[in-house]
Amino acid sequence: MSTRSAGRQVAIVGYAHSRIERRSDRPLGAITVDTARDAITDAGLTVADIDGFVSDPRLPSVGGHEVVDGVSVVTSPWLAQTLGADARLAAGHVGYSPITSSVIVAANALASGACDYVLLHRSLHNPAGRYHAATSPDVGGEAQWTVPHGMVGPPVGIALPYNEYILRYGATREALAEVVVEGRRNGARLPWSYWHGKPLTVEHYLSARMISDPISLYDCDIPVDGVAAFVLTTTDRAADLPHRPVVVDGYAKGMPVAHRPQGLLVLDDMMEAGFTLVNRLWEQSQTGITRDDIDVPQLYDGFAPLIYVWLEALGYCGVGEAHEFVRDGRISAETGLPILSGGGAIGNGRMHGVPQMLECYLQLSGRAGERQLDRAEVGLACHGLPLYGGAVLYRAG
Amino acid sequence: MSSAPIRLSPDTGSSGYWDAARRNELALPVCDECGNLTLPPAPVCPNCGTTAPRWRFTPVSGRGTVRSWTLVRNSFHPAFDHLVPYLVADVELDAQPGLRVVGRLLDEGAEPPRLGDRVQTSFQELADGLTVPGFVREHT
Repeated sequence: MSTRSAGRQVAIVGYAHSRIERRSDRPLGAITVDTARDAITDAGLTVADIDGFVSDPRLPSVGGHEVVDGVSVVTSPWLAQTLGADARLAAGHVGYSPITSSVIVAANALASGACDYVLLHRSLHNPAGRYHAATSPDVGGEAQWTVPHGMVGPPVGIALPYNEYILRYGATREALAEVVVEGRRNGARLPWSYWHGKPLTVEHYLSARMISDPISLYDCDIPVDGVAAFVLTTTDRAADLPHRPVVVDGYAKGMPVAHRPQGLLVLDDMMEAGFTLVNRLWEQSQTGITRDDIDVPQLYDGFAPLIYVWLEALGYCGVGEAHEFVRDGRISAETGLPILSGGGAIGNGRMHGVPQMLECYLQLSGRAGERQLDRAEVGLACHGLPLYGGAVLYRAG
Repeated sequence: MSSAPIRLSPDTGSSGYWDAARRNELALPVCDECGNLTLPPAPVCPNCGTTAPRWRFTPVSGRGTVRSWTLVRNSFHPAFDHLVPYLVADVELDAQPGLRVVGRLLDEGAEPPRLGDRVQTSFQELADGLTVPGFVREHT
């Protein structure tokens, strides 16, 4: 162990995942309470044991949807109170950082002894109406630097750096088709996934409507209602629990590198942030894990082109080469580098980093069933884009 | 149109930009301390760190280089419902290396640009009293 492992070791010891639906007829809070109770039971614990609650409750839509705790978002304080838990900690990072910040807060709270058992959850809601669309003609604040110029919402935002990639490196839609088809193929095998039983063909991908060229419909994860919950504790306590623990081995948070108009993503910014994040990740591994040790690399694909950014930042291929790397079965879950074995966001629905964390947990705990990979001792979950997101290393306990 | 499809609320940090646009000028905020351009203006200068940047909107060259573009086919704001599909370019301005802005390509029937195409600022009235800087291709 290096000096990075201050305090006690922390592990995931149980989980639950709701069914992912386009729009549920139940309030998000009700689904969250069911899922939280299931996760606690799965870990061999009761609500009375859980004294820490951590989440990122953000509703990641652009469109002025009303935010109501327990209905459109679920915060940790709401969940702790509703479950009737005797919580010592209810914390949450609100920002554009799917999952990573929650894991960092939970791991450090446990390592320091601020609490003994943490429930980490993520509840995602698909509000009525359009997910990303202005509902009022009013434009002020940060939005005045982009919206009057016709740049509104994340799909337009991601189209610019993706097209910059295409223009520089000659990437084709056929290449990204292989990414999306692999995500959907794996998602189709997951009983909880919105896309369960619904793989996508290359032809169907290529015929989908364009949203903001070169971003097409299936390059975007689909907004859904869904909840995932994980239970974390220290490894000494984990030894008494029913499932093989999955240890949090290290993490790194991405940071912005340049001051830009809100939502203007620049390819070089993303790569610079990505290289910094990845170097920091290896430095912060408790056991000296680096890329070649990773059996289960789960890359973030909330917009499919982000797969290229992560592949290149991690050094699986050179800059500008990811669009060739992903072809010809090289990212197949069975015979290639299994970067989307858990289906990713494209194969599950907009669960904001949950699929990557869950696949690491399922594979490393030996609970992936018929999808179990032959070797699954070390996992990597990448979340979001490197400018705001982060990455977490896991190892089998 | 009975109601304005877009209603801008300029503030002290942006009115210099929008006032200049109405005069068909591109003006960007300059830090009083270090002289660097920054968009958007911020409470602390991202270049020199001064907490008193006293941003001054200064006319700058509207010429630049296309770094990327997208063809927007879905309108996500009512002001653009009648304009889709339209091209938005990501432009690095000559005024300062690394300074990136977005703007619509206003050339009639514009073909998608190529990487490195040269553009210059042009202006379009998007709504009553709201003139927005965009770009047109430079003819060489």
